[in-house]
Amino acid sequence: MAKSDDGMRILQGLLVFGNVIIGMCGIALTAECIFFVSDPHGLYPLLEATGNNDIYAAAWIGIFVGFALFALSILGIIAVIKSSRTLLLVYIILMLITYAFEMASCITAATHRDFLTPNLFLKQMLEQYHKPETDNNKDKWMSEGVTKTWDKLMLQNKCCGVQGPSDWQDYTSAFRVTHNDADFPWPRNCCVLDTQGSPVNLDGCKLGVPGYYNSNGCYDAISGPMNTHAWGVAWFGFAILCWTFCVLLGTMFYWSRIGY
Amino acid sequence: MCSYWVMLAFCCLGHLCADQSLKPQLAAPQLATNNPTLTTVSLEKPLCMFDSSLRPNKSYAIYLYAMKELANVISSLVTDNSSKPLGNTFQQTNGGQLGPYKAAFFNVPSCAAPPSLADVGDVNKVADVLKQYLFRVGDDGHCLYDPNFLAVCNPPLAPDTIYRFKYVLVDSTEGIMKDQSLWSDPIKTRKIKLPLKIDTSPGRRSGGMIVITSILSVLVFLLLADLLAAVSSAVMRSEDSFAKTRQVSQTIQQSEPRPQLSSE
Repeated sequence: MAKSDDGMRILQGLLVFGNVIIGMCGIALTAECIFFVSDPHGLYPLLEATGNNDIYAAAWIGIFVGFALFALSILGIIAVIKSSRTLLLVYIILMLITYAFEMASCITAATHRDFLTPNLFLKQMLEQYHKPETDNNKDKWMSEGVTKTWDKLMLQNKCCGVQGPSDWQDYTSAFRVTHNDADFPWPRNCCVLDTQGSPVNLDGCKLGVPGYYNSNGCYDAISGPMNTHAWGVAWFGFAILCWTFCVLLGTMFYWSRIGY
Repeated sequence: MCSYWVMLAFCCLGHLCADQSLKPQLAAPQLATNNPTLTTVSLEKPLCMFDSSLRPNKSYAIYLYAMKELANVISSLVTDNSSKPLGNTFQQTNGGQLGPYKAAFFNVPSCAAPPSLADVGDVNKVADVLKQYLFRVGDDGHCLYDPNFLAVCNPPLAPDTIYRFKYVLVDSTEGIMKDQSLWSDPIKTRKIKLPLKIDTSPGRRSGGMIVITSILSVLVFLLLADLLAAVSSAVMRSEDSFAKTRQVSQTIQQSEPRPQLSSE
């Protein structure tokens, strides 16, 4: 009897510890997902225009799941200390529901990251950047978002196109419709700009003289934050779920052992 | 007599050999990386090309002619019978389809002080270096539509088309051709691709996604199985304990009347 009592005490201690970790991870998950949803790099308009913004949906779910995990961990600690079967059963069922939502968030983030290929952004850039005529308000909103985002990207990261400035020369584009090739082989933001925002040497930029235009592509500047976002949500959520799995197993065992 | 023919042969050979370098060349690819583009071609200016024909105290100009390399080019002559250079425009030759058109004229580049390509890195000197070193055919996108434009129009070229170029040295006062280069090697402008043809499919699933999905599915299944096991074991235990309580109460009921009998 004494041994099983000791065993129960140890299990209680472990479960309380497990729940404390779950609570802290829940807060961390909420904070991380709020950071991602706030879009510090301003890349959301690009994803919205391609219709592939589900990694943001995964982050939104993560915010609420993190908070739920925190609240449930407090419930779990109280239930374990009180050894109340009812409270423990409520805890287990609510945790399972939260588990399901977090699983959905992880899988969504991991799956939809695979869709963000360079070709996707290339096609969208060529079709939407400086699009002269739009069909409706939504289309206009999307193409304005894409244009502003690309201008900011090229300016801040000193890059041009997705894989390089040759993207503008190899493919026809909405930009090419209103800007002829002789004056604008690529957008002005691809040129090295001075402090006033005008090209240092326009002819050098048009000819592609090294040092007067940005010769590298912007894909790294896009995929870096996207990868951090998607993997941050997916893998951190996965880690939390693995830990929660162990705690839930222990809780169900504990529940089946204690009396009313 | 024999030696005269030998000398003539050598002279012609020498002239031919010299002529091989007397062709307009594309600007150096290390300098002009975006060349040729869809509608423009940047050529090196004829530095030291016509130096042997220059006479002191005379003013010269260089004319640049361009034409499409097509089978039905009617004539590739750039001068008339009296060695005067032709003034065909882009519109008159249908963009170089019917014959060469005059794309530009500029001063003879100085052979004594050629531009140094190393100066391109200097922001203050790069504009001069580019102007002295190369010329961009197809640079002016507006002169065709400007009715007030009177100078030589240099409109954009056609994409995915082969062009050839020639420099002609003209005496400015007499207006007569003094020397000319060969037609350049065929130079093709870029071909355009449609963005519709870009394949945006993601291809194979990444390893991370497969790991996450499979492991989480297994864990959820185990959790549900465990919940089922815990609930059913709790139900069975409560049935067992209920049955035991009934047994105990029955035993108590049976054993209670005996002490009364023994006392009597």
